[in-house]
Amino acid sequence: MALTEENLPLELESGNSAAIKTADPLGVFARPKATTGWRSWINTVDHKKIGIMYGGISLFFLLIGGFEALLIRTQLAVPGSKLISADLYNQVFTMHGLTMIFLVVMPMASAFANYLLPLQIGARDVAYPRMNALSLWIWVAGALFFNSSWLFGGGANGGWFNYAPNSGVTFTPGYGIDFYAVGLLIMGLASTVSAINLTVTVLNMRAPGMTLMKMPVFAWMAFITQVLLVFALPSITVALILLMLSRLFGATFFDPSMGGDAMVWQHLFWIFGHPEVYIMVIPAFGMVSEIIPVFSRKPIFGYPFMVGSGVAIGFMGFGVWAHHMFASGMGELSVLAFSMGTMFIAVPTGVKVLNWLATMYGGRLRFTTAMLFSMGMVGMFTIGGLSGVSHAFASADTQQTDTYYIIAHFHYVLFGGSLMVFFGGMFFWWPKMFGHFLDEKLGKWMFWIMLVGFNLTFGPMHILGLQGMMRRTYTYTKGQGFETWNMVATVGAFMIGVSIIIFLANVLISYRRYKANPVDPGPDPWDARSLEWMIPSPAPEHNFDEIPVVEELDEFWHRKYGHDEDGRLVRIARTEDVTQKGDAENVHLPSPSYWPIVMSVGFPLIGYGLIFNLLWAIPGAICVIAAMVGWVMEPSTEPHDDHGGHEGPADGSDGPTAAAADLPEGEGESSDAGDDQGELVGAASGAATASAQTGDTADD
Amino acid sequence: MRNKRSATIITGISLAITLVLGYLMVADIGKPDGRPLNTLAPAGSKAWEIQDLIVPVFIIAGLVFIFVEIGIIWLAARFRRRPEDVDGVDEPAQLHGSTKLEIGWTLAPSLLLAFLAVFSVNGIISQGKADKDAIDITVVGQQWWWEYRYDLDDDGKPDIITANEAAIPTGRDVRFHIQSRDVVHSFWIPRLAGKLDAVPGRTHVRVMDALEPGIYEGQCTEYCGLSHGVMRMQVKALTPEDYEKWLELMTTPPEAPKTDIEKAGQELFVAQCSFCHQVNGITPTDTAPFTYSNEIDPDYGVTNDSPLLSRNAPNLTHLMMRQHFVGGLLPLYQGKQEAVVNPREVYEPNVNNIKRWLRDPHEVKPMNEQNLQGMPNYNLSETQIDQLTAYLLTLGH
Repeated sequence: MALTEENLPLELESGNSAAIKTADPLGVFARPKATTGWRSWINTVDHKKIGIMYGGISLFFLLIGGFEALLIRTQLAVPGSKLISADLYNQVFTMHGLTMIFLVVMPMASAFANYLLPLQIGARDVAYPRMNALSLWIWVAGALFFNSSWLFGGGANGGWFNYAPNSGVTFTPGYGIDFYAVGLLIMGLASTVSAINLTVTVLNMRAPGMTLMKMPVFAWMAFITQVLLVFALPSITVALILLMLSRLFGATFFDPSMGGDAMVWQHLFWIFGHPEVYIMVIPAFGMVSEIIPVFSRKPIFGYPFMVGSGVAIGFMGFGVWAHHMFASGMGELSVLAFSMGTMFIAVPTGVKVLNWLATMYGGRLRFTTAMLFSMGMVGMFTIGGLSGVSHAFASADTQQTDTYYIIAHFHYVLFGGSLMVFFGGMFFWWPKMFGHFLDEKLGKWMFWIMLVGFNLTFGPMHILGLQGMMRRTYTYTKGQGFETWNMVATVGAFMIGVSIIIFLANVLISYRRYKANPVDPGPDPWDARSLEWMIPSPAPEHNFDEIPVVEELDEFWHRKYGHDEDGRLVRIARTEDVTQKGDAENVHLPSPSYWPIVMSVGFPLIGYGLIFNLLWAIPGAICVIAAMVGWVMEPSTEPHDDHGGHEGPADGSDGPTAAAADLPEGEGESSDAGDDQGELVGAASGAATASAQTGDTADD
Repeated sequence: MRNKRSATIITGISLAITLVLGYLMVADIGKPDGRPLNTLAPAGSKAWEIQDLIVPVFIIAGLVFIFVEIGIIWLAARFRRRPEDVDGVDEPAQLHGSTKLEIGWTLAPSLLLAFLAVFSVNGIISQGKADKDAIDITVVGQQWWWEYRYDLDDDGKPDIITANEAAIPTGRDVRFHIQSRDVVHSFWIPRLAGKLDAVPGRTHVRVMDALEPGIYEGQCTEYCGLSHGVMRMQVKALTPEDYEKWLELMTTPPEAPKTDIEKAGQELFVAQCSFCHQVNGITPTDTAPFTYSNEIDPDYGVTNDSPLLSRNAPNLTHLMMRQHFVGGLLPLYQGKQEAVVNPREVYEPNVNNIKRWLRDPHEVKPMNEQNLQGMPNYNLSETQIDQLTAYLLTLGH
């Protein structure tokens, strides 16, 4: 029990160490034990389960956002359509944008970051596992809260950018925008928590020998994304709080007749809003940079420049926000400055595209579905990048902004650039996550239908926009010349819908096939490069039997391959010899906890309280405060815990340094029995210790 | 070399297909026929400036597009794995990068963009410049229509107030002073100039001119709530002589209603409409008979206690001088509209459109009158509609 001793100082901070050792903090909950079934998902702090939940839930919202998209496209298929009313249309396009950004692309990137980051840097888990669970559940709570506005008179209808003063109660009564303000605040909390967590994880938890410049590109890009989040979110948080105060408490920050200024919102929003674009697309850059080398059998071309250009994009991304405002009348000097900045942000992005091409050059390309999606991304993102450069010419942008040309542009970036790669990433990492492949044949059907449908949908929008069709219009009339291309776009949108259905069918069919005939894909089905492929598929709960000592970039690859004098690839070890078995025992892991989900239930209650009746906020506040107290009282790793067969009392990982440590083997057996006893005693004396604890807290 | 021939063939075919499809797509993209909002069919010198700046950019972007897309196809064809390839035999050379190349493809686009930036800066500055004899028109955006004010004698008081359709002389710069009365809108006449937001509490100036007479369509392009999608406007460019005539007509009060039905319509207008809509010389506090009194002030519209001002809805004094109504959405006259000084002399009024609008405004344009946004449906009887229509038709010359 040496490690427990070591960690005592940490525990002592919250008071009586004897009380803390109980299995049921505050006497309310017994420490969760489930390792299977739904309970194991509710209380998990395992980054892999959390990542999978992020992914699954964001796929669910993809269906909702996609349905909204199809409503939009059906409405616009013909001029003067009366399918949905202007009011409903305005809600639908607003909710489509917000859903796709905050409930699909961002969490899907989070899914991959959560699942892969610790694996790629050779860690047992993230730095703060319970905070990881907390960010997931707050996000889920916020997402449900946000969408519940449909039940209270309709969704937000101010556009995702939600310009003041149209967002004020004067012009937009109803609850939609209240849900927007409070919902995004809640989700922003989730992103902040997660961003801090993953930043610390990357900085502190890398395997021995893995310097920053030996990290896989995806880990780098995910890291940059988290840093961007940390700095971008405060701005939107401030804006949302001002909006909330204006709507719910009568403040006048954006009302010029009361000395406010409508432009304040625009700047605050876009200071967040532009980095947000990079937050959505940079993780995809990372994934492409993982997939293309694997299927080209070549290392990524110009690794330091890939990393450097990512960092450069991250920095410059904070200096170009006002290019969303070239037509806002903010003044010539501002327009000049931001126009120049925007032009040059194209350079690092271009470097990335050329490096991907150079990686493929001279390779031996295998067109798996993942590779197809990645190559498709390079092609589609380039189109989005090029139209982006044309916005940088500010005087010309006054003709383009707020037209369908912009819609085309950002869908090429966020759908062609991000979402397509996320699908590619699913095909690539599915075996690692679930232990079986997705069907490649269906995958290729999906890819081609999606690629064609995507281009039919968004390609024509360039033309529509340049010919004057403006955004956020619920209809258009005959004689404006928009009929043909709108119809084409609608057909394309339904093709995308078909491709998504094929994907869902693929998931189902592949799972059934696997259940009927389980075939182990092995740890390294693609002959890949980074550390996550060293461990069995699906990844065991403890990740690595033994934390690898890293000597090179693409460490795993270099354990398999060397090269001869001509620089050609030579195998130096069999894959079986360099992979791990996943059978290590007595690896101590952070214990599951109920507190994250308890706390996250509180936030939507507070939200409803703010909007409808402050009394509702009381139970919400109780949840949050009780969860905080319970959280503090609860050691991150239960001293008496033996969950999941990985027995071990230790701090686990709320202290970054401890996570990589292994419990000395051999201690497990003997301490097992003792711990079980301790557990029973703890449970029996639950009530008594609970009162002791409350006493302690009161004293504090 | 492996795959070399097939790669060349595949690449050639894709290049040809791309070029043909590309040509078909852009062949008629810049024509104005049937595309009244086409930004690629400039009709004003500011719009031409933008066109001349952006077309070379599009061409360069097109070349990069072809390089990358065809490059991907070539890479895929050239370096695809063949069925007979075996891992470990004749594997690709492991290139880790090339600093020279990286510096090259960082510097080259930087220099190109720096070169283009010169033109961009130039464009931004020249967009704001106006000739000395430029005329000033104030534009006020409101949910969901536009008001124009002409101050002809520079006394700070508007002399003409009209809605949705502004008249300008050709060949002369116009400074639109863009304001908003409620939320953010954006004033955009794509064939004449770029857009500029109307932000409450601020005045933004957009300079434009029209090279040829004509009616140029516009569209609000900043989302402004319910009916944003149909918040349209027109700029009617007239020859300088016609423009002078137009000013004269617009500063002369229309003749008072004569027939009974017109008078009944006027009475109804005062009772139902004049709380929001203004006809100069008439206020809701007036009592019958509602005529343009002799008190009409040379400064136009003094019978109101406030200086000439529309309240929540368009000023209808010279309604029939306009060729469109309902926020620029419906034509007020029959047939294809050319820009004319006094449409009444050329076209037949489109009575059906007026009646359709009076019968149910919401059917034409979504309104949110519970929140005082837009025109309510008063459920007028057909008789009332006939009377009002007759009255409205008198509002012109």
